[in-house]
Amino acid sequence: MSQAQGERRAAATGGSGARRLLARRLGLLAAAFLLMIVGTRDIRALRADRETVVVSEALTRRVPLSTYFDGIRGTLMDAPVFLFDSGVPGGSVLILAGTHAYEPASPVMAYVVMENIAVTKGRVFVIPRANPSASRLGMLGNAYPPFFRVKTPWGEKRYRIGDRETHPLEQWPDPFTFVHYPSRQNLAYQDSRNMNRTFPGRPDGNLTERASYAVSELIRRERIDMTIDVHEASMGYPVVSTYVCHERAEDMCMMAAMVLSAEQFPMKTETSPKSLRGLTHREVGDYTQSFAVLMETPEPFIDKFVGPMTEELMLTGRDEFMQTAADRGLLYADYDIKTGATLDYRVGRHLAGAAEVIRQMGEFHPEKRIEASWPGYADIMKHGVGFYLHDPSKADARRVFVN
Amino acid sequence: MILLQEIIHQLYFLMSAAVAVLLVGRLFRRKTRPGLAYDIVYAYALIPFVLRALHIK
Repeated sequence: MSQAQGERRAAATGGSGARRLLARRLGLLAAAFLLMIVGTRDIRALRADRETVVVSEALTRRVPLSTYFDGIRGTLMDAPVFLFDSGVPGGSVLILAGTHAYEPASPVMAYVVMENIAVTKGRVFVIPRANPSASRLGMLGNAYPPFFRVKTPWGEKRYRIGDRETHPLEQWPDPFTFVHYPSRQNLAYQDSRNMNRTFPGRPDGNLTERASYAVSELIRRERIDMTIDVHEASMGYPVVSTYVCHERAEDMCMMAAMVLSAEQFPMKTETSPKSLRGLTHREVGDYTQSFAVLMETPEPFIDKFVGPMTEELMLTGRDEFMQTAADRGLLYADYDIKTGATLDYRVGRHLAGAAEVIRQMGEFHPEKRIEASWPGYADIMKHGVGFYLHDPSKADARRVFVN
Repeated sequence: MILLQEIIHQLYFLMSAAVAVLLVGRLFRRKTRPGLAYDIVYAYALIPFVLRALHIK
């Protein structure tokens, strides 16, 4: 029926037909808005979420990342930087966590460091969420929960899972091909929003490149001796359970991997390939004075062949398909479904991995020695991550930060 | 360069808003296909454009 026919019919029925048509369409519009409100509840909660951290008494300063490069000020990429300065001359280290937000043992490791650190020599910088925008996005098609909760002695603490890349609400459209600066290497289009493909960054680049540039500026201006970029890897990825190090840092990484493998857990080491551009272990080493180290733990949650991607899988790492892959020799790390790859295990590995490679820097370069302590692998495996997270409601308000 | 990127970025939001307004207009005033099924399609198709224009998704 055409509009004219409808109008004629409405006229014939004294206008009641037109009123019914209008009411029906208004009802459908209201239904669409209701669907928007209900259907985006998790999306809005993730976007608005704030994580709380109770920092240790060793905190000296908290500044926005834009302190080092103004080009990200006022954006969601302006991540907070926490400095723990002993006041005693020594080395300096940057713990860069959350570069890939969907590898959450990384920010949780940073939070455990921040809540428990004591420093007696040198300086420790921590960025717990290097890409805050990515942590507020879920991965398209993966249907996983927006949050996971860690049990603590005083209740549960909630953290975001997030995505790999910067949220399109902050950076869009993607190019057809992302050309890495300054190497001009062609990368996949979505890597224009992948913070670990945009280093060393550029001041007039896209938002993710500018955030990477701000981190590079921090490293240069603060004369950071070692940068540790904390990640998680799928178990079908060769560099899982590995240090990936720039060639200037490979001796320290090899020694650290040997010590960890002998005393705590299996750890491999690999030298950063020169043709793999945009990653911190390559570009931070090439474009700053810092020793560049990247750490990977096994995270079954992000493997493509696991079953339902649930909060339980995130926390326990137990999956029958992963076990089948392990039985067929398809994985690059040991796996047993009885123990899985728990969040405790993964965070514990990172805590010990960072501590050991920092210690090795002090062995190789005594002038860069750092004396800092935080819970180790054995502590986390014994008590759990939650034991080392403090209750914000009972902490000194000056130590509570909303990240 | 940054300004140009920002203009292009904001244009996408404006385009989303424009499409949303167009769809709402067509939902209430169109000359052809006045049936219920088309009303539902217009109302449903509106959702992604409104969510993008409002910076939600």
